[in-house]
Amino acid sequence: MKFNRINVIGLGNLLYGDEGFGVAALQQFEKSTTFRPSVNCIDGGTQGIALLDYIESCDAVIVFDALVPLEYDRRVYVYRNDELPAFIHRKMSSHQMGLSEMIGIARLNGRMPREFVLIGVPPKELELHVGLSPELSRLLPEAVEEGRKIVEEWLAKAEYIS
Amino acid sequence: MAKKIVVDPIPRIEGHLRIEATLNESNVIEEAYSTGTMWRGIEVILKGRDPRDAWAFAERICGVCTTVHALASVRCVEDALGITIPTNARIIRNLMNATQVTQDHLVHFYHLHALDWVDVVSALKADPKQASAIAQSISPWPKSSVGYFKDLQQRLVGFVESGQLGIFSNGYWGHPAYKLPPEVNLIAVAHYLEALDFQKEIIKIHTIFGGKNPHPNYLVGGMACAIDPNSDTAINIERLMMIKKIIDDTNTFIDQVYIPDLIAIAGYYKGWLHGGGLGNYLSYGDFPETSLADFKTLLWPRGAILNKDLSTVIDVDPRDAAQVTEEVSHSWYTYSGGDSKGLHPWKGETTPSYTGPKPPFEHLDTDKKYSWLKTPRWKNHAMEVGPLARVLIAYAKGDPMIKDTVGLVLSKLEVGPEALFSTLGRTAARGIECKQTAGFMRHYYDQLIANIKTGDYRTFNSERWEPSTWPEECKGFGYTEAPRGALGHWIQIKDQKIKEYQIVVPSTWNASPRDANGNSGAYESALKGTPMINPEQPLEILRTVHSFDPCLACASHLFDMNGKEITSVKIV
Repeated sequence: MKFNRINVIGLGNLLYGDEGFGVAALQQFEKSTTFRPSVNCIDGGTQGIALLDYIESCDAVIVFDALVPLEYDRRVYVYRNDELPAFIHRKMSSHQMGLSEMIGIARLNGRMPREFVLIGVPPKELELHVGLSPELSRLLPEAVEEGRKIVEEWLAKAEYIS
Repeated sequence: MAKKIVVDPIPRIEGHLRIEATLNESNVIEEAYSTGTMWRGIEVILKGRDPRDAWAFAERICGVCTTVHALASVRCVEDALGITIPTNARIIRNLMNATQVTQDHLVHFYHLHALDWVDVVSALKADPKQASAIAQSISPWPKSSVGYFKDLQQRLVGFVESGQLGIFSNGYWGHPAYKLPPEVNLIAVAHYLEALDFQKEIIKIHTIFGGKNPHPNYLVGGMACAIDPNSDTAINIERLMMIKKIIDDTNTFIDQVYIPDLIAIAGYYKGWLHGGGLGNYLSYGDFPETSLADFKTLLWPRGAILNKDLSTVIDVDPRDAAQVTEEVSHSWYTYSGGDSKGLHPWKGETTPSYTGPKPPFEHLDTDKKYSWLKTPRWKNHAMEVGPLARVLIAYAKGDPMIKDTVGLVLSKLEVGPEALFSTLGRTAARGIECKQTAGFMRHYYDQLIANIKTGDYRTFNSERWEPSTWPEECKGFGYTEAPRGALGHWIQIKDQKIKEYQIVVPSTWNASPRDANGNSGAYESALKGTPMINPEQPLEILRTVHSFDPCLACASHLFDMNGKEITSVKIV
């Protein structure tokens, strides 16, 4: 299996408390791992539409993000491939192009990466300030570790790594 | 009793635009109230800072129309300090601005607004053969074979059938206000996806001149990019050729995809001419051919039109204290001299004072203060800004390109100029303008090449860079026409620091609440009188509000596994 390009993307707004979880997780991931150049770490911030290329241009992608799960326990959730819902929402503004739209469009385009993993935690505090709540800070290492394990799993299966 | 509809994004994430509308017995909108539910506050953040840094803060007001606040900001600082920028800097700024408008209009039409007119689910019923025949009859665009549409339709079917996708359950698909035949819907879905692919090419021009996108780099005194045809790291021949290619492809896409789609779709909706609204239009103008102060040379003319009177374009001076003012009688701020007294931005105040209900709430008391947006007025008139305002002002002033294109679109649709005063007119004006700015991109590219050929590589004027060269106290005004309309930044500098900074953004004009005299803002006025087929699915409200291209503070992107609608609709 080819894993020439793996993108690891952190999403969120660092100024908005736990909303910044994805970016904080990415920063931690980047610091604590030494993967080969085929693994790219991308701070996606609150971008929507600009992320499409990062999703469509790789063989596998991991996204860290704060999320609202179906059942609401405060723990680390890992969703893979078809478990990810793709929605194209009715929007008030182009600001609202989010990850779910990007997944929907990548699917419609037939350009979804072979592997797509979303790792996230439901937020506790969504207020204008910098820094995660203690609850989410505690869950951060586990989320990063999940990401690291999955990337290693992919790299182990890879036939050719550039 | 009158019904009330509230259209509001999920308030848990953060505040946005909220529309409350009351309907009469026959479901026609009687009154509408537009509320900005979030405070921007950048004016307060800028106080006391180095004016040369202001653009970097102001630019981050918005991540979609990303370059416009930087442009208005450097222009107001240069105006205050009396800085003249080099010719290359003027051309590059114009080229970046034209790029921004073109990309933004294209994205708006396909990815925000199209779904108000295009029923995606209906595309499943389309005959690919017929879709191909229609596509080929309206445009020479090569992606139009039967196989192409068949393949897309199959992907669409697979997408819908994969079950766990809530995508089509939460739209208003099948709403009787949709009028397109399935084949035109299928073509529009194809171009929705193609436009998404293409728009990211256009914006590469920003990364070439500004280093990155969003939020490219600007510089007080010019632009931060070096021009040197012989250098690997500067703007060289290779980069310029890349820009040329993007500009050519952009013009092709607009001419062969956007404009034919716009005309084809509008043809089915020309009976739906609601949403005109105020009939007052304002533009500061933009695209200076010489200096900004010489506004007679602006390619987008400056002016105002009142009461839809296209025979008269009134002169506008945003520096005049009696012309552009903001009052706060219905906004959550207080003014030291009384809330209903309009203040010119050079005398502006930003003192927040929230008196609304504690969120989450059902209703706002619209007799009192009900918005975080201030209430800008021009000579006490509520004004509409944006593509329709600019196109009408250029049309009324006899701009040949606009006259021709507007004439062509109107004749193809077999309607008169009065059809422009509508939601559809606003949407058509955006397309017409997009074609124009794609042309501007070519124009400025040619200007840039011609100027470089004279041996002029200068992009920065450093004469007044050092604060020691500045006057003790000064003030400036910077303007641009953002994709969404007139944008002004007013600065006061004292002791080398920002003393006061006021920003009046396009969406504040369009989404403003009522003023002290009870006059509605542009959204509020445009919604009045619109008949709704089904108040539980307020497609008509979204259509009209979207046609203004609302610019709201940046949304956060919490991933919602439940696929709940971002925009909640409540009827109470």
